[in-house]
Amino acid sequence: MTRVSRFEQLVLPHLDAAYNLARWITRNDHDAEDVVQEAFLRAMKYFDGMKGGEARPWLLTIVRNTCYTWLEKNRPSDLVGLDDAGPLAAEGIGVGQSVSDDNPEVILLQSANRKLVNQALEELPVGFREVIVMREIEDLSYKEIASIAGIPTGTVMSRLSRGREMLKRSIETRMRRAS
Amino acid sequence: MGVKNEPVAEEPLIARDATYYRAPDALRSRVRASVRARAREQLRPMLWRWGGMAAAFAATIAVTWNVALFEAGNDEVNRLAREVESAHVRSLMVEGHLNDVASTDQHTVKPWFEGKLDFAPHVEDPAAAGFALIGGRLDYLDGRPVAAMTYRHRKHVVNLFEWPAPNTADTEPVAMTRKGYVLAHWRHGGLEYWAVSDIERDDLLQFARLVNPR
Repeated sequence: MTRVSRFEQLVLPHLDAAYNLARWITRNDHDAEDVVQEAFLRAMKYFDGMKGGEARPWLLTIVRNTCYTWLEKNRPSDLVGLDDAGPLAAEGIGVGQSVSDDNPEVILLQSANRKLVNQALEELPVGFREVIVMREIEDLSYKEIASIAGIPTGTVMSRLSRGREMLKRSIETRMRRAS
Repeated sequence: MGVKNEPVAEEPLIARDATYYRAPDALRSRVRASVRARAREQLRPMLWRWGGMAAAFAATIAVTWNVALFEAGNDEVNRLAREVESAHVRSLMVEGHLNDVASTDQHTVKPWFEGKLDFAPHVEDPAAAGFALIGGRLDYLDGRPVAAMTYRHRKHVVNLFEWPAPNTADTEPVAMTRKGYVLAHWRHGGLEYWAVSDIERDDLLQFARLVNPR
């Protein structure tokens, strides 16, 4: 099999995963398409370095890097709030404040519609947004997310729980505003 | 609100309510096309980067290639290559141009040509090797009616043209590139064969050997 057909067979099937991640990071259809296109060309260039590992996390690492390079150039303001302690402290969201299942907040979240979840997730700082997307929507393991985002597994877990917390609050606020 | 359903874990909720953005079809074709275009670009500089033996090897191939072209008569081959390439493009241009008889069964395709041509085309179906017969049609090449068999290789269409070449010796398939298409030409058992597609050169040569195993 030639290199190109091997690439088409192993990497191309993950186009949806690539687009989904890029779309959630860039928050725009056209930008996501450009980034994905660029990421696939990069992936092809470095394909020999994949060495029989899992194609999806490998590709997503490249997609994520391409997204960040793109954001740095075009929308650097999107990249603030990556500091793990920062956004939470600023918004006064208590870490470790666990929310039980019968908590009104959870019920709020349960009845939240698609639009609400999407909007709230879109407005989350990118560092939290991407781990939630990778875990909840793309169903990647903590380990895979850690290697894609280049952060320790512990940081993945703390970003996830903080991100979920922030998401919950944001949805709750939106619902209150709407009613 | 206020409806107290069974509490659901928070985790699957984001998974359920957040959108999974699927890649649009246009992006799919764009990515595929750019990957192929890049592959073609990369091939050329790579040849130059190879040193020593590889270069010598490449030179040998080039010489063999030229000899093959020379033997066939350069102008003649170029003219036919142009015709074959045009026929291939035409066949893909409009829905319904590709096949007069659409069938994946060689025992349907072969008899269909009976009475339409002054020779019996050789119809193979190397589906197991990744080249599935999808049909056949009449075409016009080299100033005569010819048989065109169509095959699918992954998403790509391969056109195989055949017509009689009486009193000629068998030749090995020779590949050439024209406007991004790959063509292969050979003779076997008194028939002239031309295959054309947008697949990799080596894949087309493999196809040629599947049509006429030696």
